[in-house]
Amino acid sequence: MEYSENIKVALQGLTDHKFRSFLTMLGIIFGVASVIAMLSIGEGAKREAIAKYQDLGVNNIIVREKDMSAAELEEVRTKFSPGLSLRDAEVIRDIVPGVSRIAAQAEVNAEVKYASQSVKSSVIGVTPEFYDILNYQIKEGEFITPIHYDAKHKVCVLGSGIAYALFQKEAPLGKMVKIEDQWLEVVGILENKALFTETVGELAARDLNTDVYVPLSMFLDRFSRGNVLASELQQLTIQVDNSDRLMETSTLIDEIIRRHHFGNEDYGIVIPLELLKQEEKERQIYNFLLGAIAAISLIVGGIGIMNIMLATVMERTREIGIRRAIGARKSDIMGQFVTEAVVISIAGGLIGVVLGVSLSLLVSVFTDVSTYIRLYSVIIAFAFSVIVGVVFGYLPAKNAANLKPVDSIRYE
Amino acid sequence: MSNLIEINHITKRYEMGDNVVMALQDVSLTIRQGEYLSIMGPSGSGKSTFMNILGCLDTPTTGEYKFRGVDVSHLNDDELSAMRNREIGFVFQNFNLLPKLDAAQNVELPLAYAGVPAAERRERAVRSLERVKLADRMHHRPSELSGGQRQRVAIARALVTNPGILLADEPTGALDSKTGIEIMRLFDELHQEGNTIILITHEQDIANYAIRNVYIKDGAIHYDRLNSQRTIVK
Ligand SMILES: Nc1ncnc2c1ncn2[C@@H]1O[C@H](COP(=O)(O)OP(=O)(O)OP(=O)(O)O)[C@@H](O)[C@H]1O
Ligand SMILES: [Mg+2]
Repeated sequence: MEYSENIKVALQGLTDHKFRSFLTMLGIIFGVASVIAMLSIGEGAKREAIAKYQDLGVNNIIVREKDMSAAELEEVRTKFSPGLSLRDAEVIRDIVPGVSRIAAQAEVNAEVKYASQSVKSSVIGVTPEFYDILNYQIKEGEFITPIHYDAKHKVCVLGSGIAYALFQKEAPLGKMVKIEDQWLEVVGILENKALFTETVGELAARDLNTDVYVPLSMFLDRFSRGNVLASELQQLTIQVDNSDRLMETSTLIDEIIRRHHFGNEDYGIVIPLELLKQEEKERQIYNFLLGAIAAISLIVGGIGIMNIMLATVMERTREIGIRRAIGARKSDIMGQFVTEAVVISIAGGLIGVVLGVSLSLLVSVFTDVSTYIRLYSVIIAFAFSVIVGVVFGYLPAKNAANLKPVDSIRYE
Repeated sequence: MSNLIEINHITKRYEMGDNVVMALQDVSLTIRQGEYLSIMGPSGSGKSTFMNILGCLDTPTTGEYKFRGVDVSHLNDDELSAMRNREIGFVFQNFNLLPKLDAAQNVELPLAYAGVPAAERRERAVRSLERVKLADRMHHRPSELSGGQRQRVAIARALVTNPGILLADEPTGALDSKTGIEIMRLFDELHQEGNTIILITHEQDIANYAIRNVYIKDGAIHYDRLNSQRTIVK
C-alpha cells in the first residue's frame, strides 16, 4: 500500500472525530507552546543582558570610587588615600600590559541653566577617550575632542534628555548654557541611551540622558567640588586589547591602586564581561529547568496521545480485522496507526507553534519580561512533537498490528 | 478441471489452559476450479474454524493445505496477507464494510493493499460495482444503503481482485428472505461466470443453492455429496 493512503486515512480519521482529536492534541499543543515560550523568554533575557553589558563595554574594566559619606571620606583621607586621580590613570597606563585606552572622569551634581530653564544634572568631566571606549553615539555636533581637552575649552555635550528639557524646539548647538558660574558652549548632543536600570557594583542605576559632558581639564580648573576632600576623579574606564586577560589585568590594576591608596578600599572594580558570564551561568540553570518542564509537558502530551490511541485501537478492532481479511499486512496496520499518531502530533504541533509564538509576543507586550523567538526553537519544538507522535504512537500501533485477524473480524 | 484447493488431514486444536478442543479432526477435501460448494453443520461443529483456515485467516495445527498446488499451511503472516488479498474474496454475514468509506472506496480497498495505482483502482471498483448493479450508489456510505445493497457492495469488494475463491459465511444471515434470494441469485450468476464459490451456512435452504454439499459434525466431514435437490433461482 502506498504511504499517501495512510496519510489520507489518518486525515479522514482526524476530521471524522474533530473534538476528540482536539482533546488528544491538547497535551502536545501545550507542550510545544511551552517549549517555544520558555525558549523565547530565555533568549530574551540573554539578549537583554548582552545589550546591557555591551553598553558598559565587554573589553572594559571599570574602576569607580565608592559612594562615601563625608565622614567616610574624611576617614580614608586621614589614612592617606589620595582618592582616585589622574595619577592612577598614568600609573596604570605605564605599568599594566595590554591596556589600550583609559578614560578618566570626574563628576559633580549641578544645575544646568539656559534662558529661564534650569535642570538638575550630573556634570561629567571626561577625557576624549571616553567616547571611543564606551558605547555612546553622537546625534548632532561632536563629542569632546582632544583640542577641547588640551585647550581647556569651555564647551559641553548634552545628553538627549537634558537637551530637550533645556531647549525643547530650539537648536542647542552653539548656544551657551550656564553651570555653576561658568558659561559653556553646546558643541554636541548625544543619541538617546537606554536607562541604566540596575546597580552594577559601584555603578548606580540612573538615567544617562540627563548627563552633561565637559573636558576634564577644564572641569578640574573651573568647577568647585561638593566637598574639599573630594577625589580628583570618580571613575576610570580601562580598555584592554584582549578580553581573555580581563581577570589578570583587573587583579593587577587592583593591586596598583590599592598600593597607591595606602590599602584603603575606597574604590570598586566592575568587569562587565565577567558579570555577563556570571549572569549567563546563572541563567543556564534556570533555562535548563524551564526546558525540563517544557519537555515533561511534551512527554505528558505524548502519553495523552498514547492513551487515546490505545482506546481507539480497541474501538477499531473490527476495522482492523476487516482490513487484515482483505489483505492488509501487519506493517500496513502499523503504518496506518503510527501515521495517525504523527498526524495528530503534527497538527497539535502546528497549533502549539501558533500558540507558543503568540504567547511569547503577548508576554513581551504585556509584561516587562522581554522575549525573543528564534527560528531554531520553533523547529526544535515542532520536531520534538513529531518524535513524540512516533514514539507514543508506536505501542498502540503495534497492538493494532498484532491483533489476530480471526479474532478481530468477529469483534463486536 | 484442475484442483484449486487440496486439503489433506488437517486438524485444529484450541488449547485453553488444561482444556483442549479439537475443532477440526482429520479433515480432507478437494475443491476444483469453478465449483459451487456449501459447507453445512450445526452450531459448534467447526464451520467457522474451517472457513478461517480456508480463507487463510488462520493456519491448521497439523495437516496440509494446498492452494493452486502451493502449501499455504506454513506461510508467515505477510504471505498469508498476500494470499487473502489475491486469492480469497470474503463475504460476511454482517457485511463488514468500513462505515466511514463510501461504496466505491470500500470496493477499492483490497486493490489499495495490492498496490494498484489510484486511477486503475477506481476504474476496477466501478466495474465491480456495475457487476452487482450498484454503480449508481458508489458514493453512498454503508449507512445510506439497504442490507441487500450492503451485501452486494461486499460482494463487489470480494470480486474486485479476481480471487481464486469467493468465501461466503452465512451471506444471507442478516437479510430478509426476499433479499436473501436476490443475493443467492447473484451467487448463481457468478458461479455461471466461472467463479469458485464456497458457501458456509447452518441452513439447509441456503445449502441447497449449491451444487455440492459438505456436512461437518464435531469437527469432521460427515458427508460430501452432489446436491440432488438443488434450488434453481428463477
Ligand atoms: N478461539 C477459540 N478458542 C477456543 N475454542 C474455540 C475457538 N474458536 C472455536 N472454538 C471451539 O471450536 C469448536 C468449533 O467452533 P466453530 O466456531 O468453528 O463452530 P461453528 O460451526 O462455526 O459454530 P456456529 O454455527 O455456532 O458459528 C467449538 O467447540 C468452539 O467452542
Ligand atoms: Mg461460526
